Amino acid sequence: MEMKDRSLEGKPAIRCEGVEVVIRKKQVLRNVSFEVEAGRLAGLLGPNGAGKSTLLRLLTGLLPPDGGTVELFGRPAGPERLAEVSFLPDRGQLPVYLSAGEWLGFAAKLYPDWNRGRERELIEKLEIDRAKRIGSMSRGEEARLQLLTCLSREAPLLILDEPFTGVDLVSRERIASAVVGEMADGDRTFLIATHDIREMEQLFDCIVLIGDGAVKGAYDVDELRQAGRSVESCYREVFA
Amino acid sequence: MPPGRNWTTEDFRLDPSRPLYEQFTEQIRAMIAKGELAPGERLPSVREMASGLRVNPTTAMKTYQELERMNLIVTYRGQGTFVTREEEAIRRSRRQLAQEAVRQLTETARSLGLTPEQLWELAREE
Repeated sequence: MEMKDRSLEGKPAIRCEGVEVVIRKKQVLRNVSFEVEAGRLAGLLGPNGAGKSTLLRLLTGLLPPDGGTVELFGRPAGPERLAEVSFLPDRGQLPVYLSAGEWLGFAAKLYPDWNRGRERELIEKLEIDRAKRIGSMSRGEEARLQLLTCLSREAPLLILDEPFTGVDLVSRERIASAVVGEMADGDRTFLIATHDIREMEQLFDCIVLIGDGAVKGAYDVDELRQAGRSVESCYREVFA
Repeated sequence: MPPGRNWTTEDFRLDPSRPLYEQFTEQIRAMIAKGELAPGERLPSVREMASGLRVNPTTAMKTYQELERMNLIVTYRGQGTFVTREEEAIRRSRRQLAQEAVRQLTETARSLGLTPEQLWELAREE
């Protein structure tokens, strides 16, 4: 695919080791350690307020940790790594006064790794109306446009924060299908943070459970199922 | 699955607490045994299958690997994946399925202190 530094091959896409975050004297993340191998579709699961979004801000370089290390592909995370990370923020807002087509025109100029061919393919798959104004879109349509923005880049790591919040069933299914299509294309790594595991349960190949700012468990999903457990039952056991 | 179309989530029944590739393998194997998938019929690509069923591409890949190992499907580079035309392979798979069913029946019979024949007769008694 893209240029690759040979020395970094085989390094995990994400590695957190003893990560601590304190915000206004409150410990938000406590001794968080986990790894996600490159090429996997990982679920970061936990209830609201568990610390998922804070963890994603560390990974995307928007916030430095107060302790421990955060690495992407074997090198420290930080703002200078933004080119390698395509991030879909929770409740992100696109400019309401633009049409979908105008927004995509800007995005194509904004991101050096924008892939026009992929954009065209995804417009069809996600059924985006280029002429429609963002301000008049439903939550589901806007979520699809945001995902398209995220997937049209060639960044090797994609981080999606709650891509399904307030999104209708059909859009959720389209989003899941589009993510799968991208996975099958190559060795991109996905980390999807969500508290809503419905459409994604069958997609994850590993999960990290986070609650009260700490990792409550990390599992390979096939191994869970070999042992007769489902993602959902595991989630319930940990958080019920 | 009509020819040239992809599978949808409606075509399979899944238990989320068992490995998915095992279940896809079993159910596609049954479709082939039943003739619902005809010899030589084209199957979706790994990518199409994963996207249509909304499962991890690794799951789709493992499913095809298993079916290939059973000689029930063949992949031709650049052409796609097809149900085998070798009738012997399909017959062998049907026989294995029958043997597995009889093994389970025998186990049930034994748990009731019966032979499979006695179990059969008992079930048919008026």
